[in-house]
Amino acid sequence: MSKMEAYVETGMLVVGFLLIVAGCYCLIRTYHLLKIIIGVEVAMKAVTMFVILAGFINGKIALAQAFVITVIVIEVVVAVVAVGLAINLYRIYGNMDIRNLRKLKG
Amino acid sequence: MQVIESSTVLIFAVPLVIFLINSLFSKRLAEKFSMGLAYVAPITQIVATAACFVQIAHLKQHDIIISWDLAGAVSMRFAVHTYSLVFLFCIALVSLASIMVANRTVPQKRTGFASLLMMLILGMNGIVMVTDLFSLYVFLEIVGISSFVLIAMFKSETGLEGAFKYLVMSVLASIMILTGLAFIFMQTGSLQYDHLEASALAGQSPTQLVLIYAAMILMIAGFAIKTGAVPFHSWLPDAHQSANTAVSVLLSGIVIKVAGIYGLIVITGFFGKLPGIKLTLFIMGTISIIIGALFALRQSHFKRIVAYSSVSQMGYILLGLSTVSMLGLLGAVAHVFNHATFKSTLFTNAAAVHEQTGTYDINELGGLEKKMGVTSFSSLAAFMSTAGIPPFAGFWSKLLIIMALWSSGARVFAAIALFASIFTAAYFLRLQRKVFFGKLRDQLAGITEIGGSVKLAQIMLTVVTIAAGLLFPFALLYFRGIGLL
Repeated sequence: MSKMEAYVETGMLVVGFLLIVAGCYCLIRTYHLLKIIIGVEVAMKAVTMFVILAGFINGKIALAQAFVITVIVIEVVVAVVAVGLAINLYRIYGNMDIRNLRKLKG
Repeated sequence: MQVIESSTVLIFAVPLVIFLINSLFSKRLAEKFSMGLAYVAPITQIVATAACFVQIAHLKQHDIIISWDLAGAVSMRFAVHTYSLVFLFCIALVSLASIMVANRTVPQKRTGFASLLMMLILGMNGIVMVTDLFSLYVFLEIVGISSFVLIAMFKSETGLEGAFKYLVMSVLASIMILTGLAFIFMQTGSLQYDHLEASALAGQSPTQLVLIYAAMILMIAGFAIKTGAVPFHSWLPDAHQSANTAVSVLLSGIVIKVAGIYGLIVITGFFGKLPGIKLTLFIMGTISIIIGALFALRQSHFKRIVAYSSVSQMGYILLGLSTVSMLGLLGAVAHVFNHATFKSTLFTNAAAVHEQTGTYDINELGGLEKKMGVTSFSSLAAFMSTAGIPPFAGFWSKLLIIMALWSSGARVFAAIALFASIFTAAYFLRLQRKVFFGKLRDQLAGITEIGGSVKLAQIMLTVVTIAAGLLFPFALLYFRGIGLL
């Protein structure tokens, strides 16, 4: 393994972890429905990067690319459903505050 | 082989064709026939599963791999095991019960319900039959997406709330599972089950061990979220309570087991021998049993009690899996089957009670035994099976799990699992006493028994519960006799 490759791998790993931490921080700190969805999507992007990194390390980059394209399609569908839920909640409550969701507890 | 191959094609093709037919016709036309057409999928699946079982018993072979060549370029491989047949049968049975309940509880948007149900069945069949981890993830997402929409599609305030909580937790679970998959892929270079089996634990350097452990932590946590095991259970009662009852039957009856437990079965099959994984599952299972039962004791919403009961029963299945032995796996799969029957019975009863009285609050109910005889009896049978009273099915599977725990040396956990059955009996006795026993309330004097397909579903599920209990030892002897155990 050349030195350059090792730098790329470490860099991708660090950036991936930073993205996941950023997504989770967003999930914890914000009370806005759309911002929560954005945070989750950011974390999901980091995961696709891990898959590419895995393919890069073990030399099966074509397989990893096939995986990532599938994951991106799934992600979009999940995001559409999530935004649909957020829009319907907005129509009921008139705002996007997550603290409205307190009907169910116990 | 011919029989199994054509059965596999049917299991995948029928839901897909019904989905297409529903979408082809206009909304007004489809609304009339979609619910009737939906019955075709589970019934075909039951027949196909039975045919597969006969064939497997004839061939005396544990698992059979089927590969489809698509235009010679790509080949897809599916596997039929003895235990995936149990899962396929449960999927069909619970979906059948759900359609029967939906006949009463889903007044409009019937086409939407039927189409989404077909997607859900397709996704669950896929999870059970695929032969690599990435396909499992893809079908997991199909199941997840159709469940979110099924919970939210009636656009009630609580339904949207439950669906959003489920969605956020579920996306976190997919992030964890996919990261775990990436780590395993990094080390092995393939996600096929047979490649994993060969290279899972061979020749580890410390770095590789770190990667495998990271992957295991992430994947166990991800599948535990999908299962609703205790540290991750917060979404489960909310989603299962707020959904339409026909959807709750599906979610609690089968989705948590196929999406969560089946994934854990696959993982423990490959990596269960690593130290630490057993202990994690032991602790998670025990906490689930106790906390789920304690939370169920203090609820007053019929469906919420039954949903917390699911959390508690999932703990037993986790304990069975945690032994990583043949006996434990057998107990876990048997408990999956029993839980599918009795939990769908209880949710069907919740639907019956709500349809007739208009409330889920157990404090407003009482003495329904005299008015709703069938519902009361099926509820009693289901609760006896849940608590593990001897002639019923739940007793046998819990016995197998406790035996597996005892023989694997985890005697403390076996004792806890045994005594936690008292909590199960406590919360169901409370439910049964408040809803069905006692004096009939004056405002409930005009209540009648529910009729039609819901009653049929109750009778069908109760017969399966009781028959499974009475025939369980004979079934085990039969499986042993034909060499499948």
